[in-house]
Amino acid sequence: MSGPQKPLELILARNLLTSVTTPAFLVAKDGTLLFYNEGAGALIGRPFEDTGQLDLQEWTRRFGPFDENEEPLSFDELPLTKALREGRPAHDEFSVRSADGEMHRIAASAMPIVGAATGASGVMVIFWPVDEQVAREVTTGRHEVTR
Amino acid sequence: MKVRIWGARGSVPAPGPEMNRYGGNTSCVEVTLAGGERLILDAGTGIRTLGFSLPPDMPRINILLTHLHLDHIQGLMFFPPCFRAESDIRIFGPSSPEASLESRIARYISAPLSPVEVRELPCDVSFLDAPASEWQIGGATIRAEAVTHRGPTLGYRITDGDTTLCYIPDHEPGLGADLAALSEEWISGYNLARDADLLIHDCQYTDEEYPGHEGWGHSPITEAITFARRVGARRTLLFHHDPLHTDGFLDDLHRTARRAWQGLGGDPEQIGIAAERAELTVGATAAETPARPRIAV
Repeated sequence: MSGPQKPLELILARNLLTSVTTPAFLVAKDGTLLFYNEGAGALIGRPFEDTGQLDLQEWTRRFGPFDENEEPLSFDELPLTKALREGRPAHDEFSVRSADGEMHRIAASAMPIVGAATGASGVMVIFWPVDEQVAREVTTGRHEVTR
Repeated sequence: MKVRIWGARGSVPAPGPEMNRYGGNTSCVEVTLAGGERLILDAGTGIRTLGFSLPPDMPRINILLTHLHLDHIQGLMFFPPCFRAESDIRIFGPSSPEASLESRIARYISAPLSPVEVRELPCDVSFLDAPASEWQIGGATIRAEAVTHRGPTLGYRITDGDTTLCYIPDHEPGLGADLAALSEEWISGYNLARDADLLIHDCQYTDEEYPGHEGWGHSPITEAITFARRVGARRTLLFHHDPLHTDGFLDDLHRTARRAWQGLGGDPEQIGIAAERAELTVGATAAETPARPRIAV
């Protein structure tokens, strides 16, 4: 067994993300990247099956985020942080770095996940490449994933 | 621990001569603990007949509701102890931010759906949100957790000494997920059912029926069997039979499930199918008494 069972709302969120092509992350309340779907894998250049869960330091080291000058953004400035801390949806634009080193400008919306029994358990972050061509490729599965 | 099935049907009561052996009453299971205390799991129409079998001087009746769909509460209004002033009834169920358990159940036990209101019941009845942490009833430790179904729904894990029963009558853990490949931490109901001596689990559909009912909150045979295998259940009782499934159909479904279990490396004798009036002993001296002939009550 890899750990205690996740709260149901996180299980359902993962099932939903598995079923859609819109790129998305599922992040625990401690910042651990619990899961990302195929759409996100296509954008960042690594399928989830290759990385597994990543703690906050590891996934921000790999993927970013970065500002317009490609300088690292503070975790505090991310929409997901606002969603976690303030319990409300948040939206912003920033850049992420894919496995091949390419930077992608994305728009990200973070939604807090609050369970009936467990309270705040995580955040779902849905994002879109700002470049429309890349967005089309990602959501139609034509964007190549580097293995 | 003894378990008696008073209703194994899902969705809606399904009476009729072609349903006699498995029964037509909806979900209700009686659990008798080693110390003699009894728990009632769900209050489908089976609870009406159960009510007639309870001693009138039973000190307290504990009912654990998984959720408030009608097939799990419909019998409450016809449960004989509700109409005895000396009855002390505690009903546990899922919490909701929208309204209390009592007011949600009162939507059914109230006009125009019912001739009586909850406040008119002569018994002493209390409605309690199932605690988020484990709690005790008699000698048993109870744990309730949310599981994948439509609407807020609980499963229960009941541990009495070294014997554990898990009851998840409405459950679709394979929805949007590959149940065979998922790690355990991502399987709905895993905590509840892990290593249970007896798992009573949803198996409403055949695999062929399931595509037309995906997302309805119930499991097909393969998902039910895979779930049982993943959680390491020692014995599984297939439950929540579709109202269209006749005795002959359920015999076939049972055979298919046993073959599927055997295909996963299990002993087919570990896979049972719930029949109304069947009694089981769970634990070291596990045994099953076949369903008795139905008695008109």
